[in-house]
Amino acid sequence: MASNIEKGIAFVLALVVGGTTSFQLYKDWTTTGLDNQVTKLLLGLMAFGCLLVVLACFGILGG
Amino acid sequence: MAVSALNASHEAVHARYESVDPLYREVRDIRLLGFVLFLISDVVLFSMFIFAYLYLRNSVPNWPPITTAGQLPRFDVAFACINSCVLFGSGATMHAAMESWKHLNKPAFNLWMLATIVLGIGFLSGQAYEYQHVPVTWTGSTMGASFFTLTGMHGFHVFIGVIYLITLYIQANRGVYTGSKYFGLTAGTLYWHFVDVIWVALFYLFYLM
Repeated sequence: MASNIEKGIAFVLALVVGGTTSFQLYKDWTTTGLDNQVTKLLLGLMAFGCLLVVLACFGILGG
Repeated sequence: MAVSALNASHEAVHARYESVDPLYREVRDIRLLGFVLFLISDVVLFSMFIFAYLYLRNSVPNWPPITTAGQLPRFDVAFACINSCVLFGSGATMHAAMESWKHLNKPAFNLWMLATIVLGIGFLSGQAYEYQHVPVTWTGSTMGASFFTLTGMHGFHVFIGVIYLITLYIQANRGVYTGSKYFGLTAGTLYWHFVDVIWVALFYLFYLM
């Protein structure tokens, strides 16, 4: 039961953070320069991390 | 936000970024390359430990391994999911802080930086809590040794990152950085995103795989 509540909280957090990160990535998509390119790569991987959390919350991964 | 407005905003930031004297620009670009190389070297460091973990994991027929007390349980995924979101959220706030600085919005920068520092400390607190409740010990099994070594090394990076961010916050409020000269903030942002992304790998390896 407690585990399900934790997963519910994590799911909501992952949606918020993943959505925000994806939006930041979209906003910065046209920027140039080494620092911006590395930042975009890392933002994309962070969004992927949020996707992993969502999959874990539904038991698709790590179940 | 419309794409044209976004592009205009990016161009204004880029123009300010390039408006510095040529010597500073050259030094900044070299420092940036050096910092990215440092991050790559850190990727190599983590990769070595990750491959050692994968080797150990594949050396035994069962995972989690079986000890004299029976098979070890898996790590708690639910709590790790929340803690991961805290760390990923700190990456988002750090990016917002950097963008605020680039757009000369110092109050928003301060707010997002403080949020990042608080979330970073929150992640470390979560990790400390987990260390007290995790079903393995450092010396009890290869699973525990790998877990504490890798997550401990990552936690140390986060700890250093929090100190780094606090330093940047103080420096920014003392006027060390300007609207066109802010390499320290750029490096801090890259470092913080880097520790976030390393956690993506560790989260998958220890909790989901």
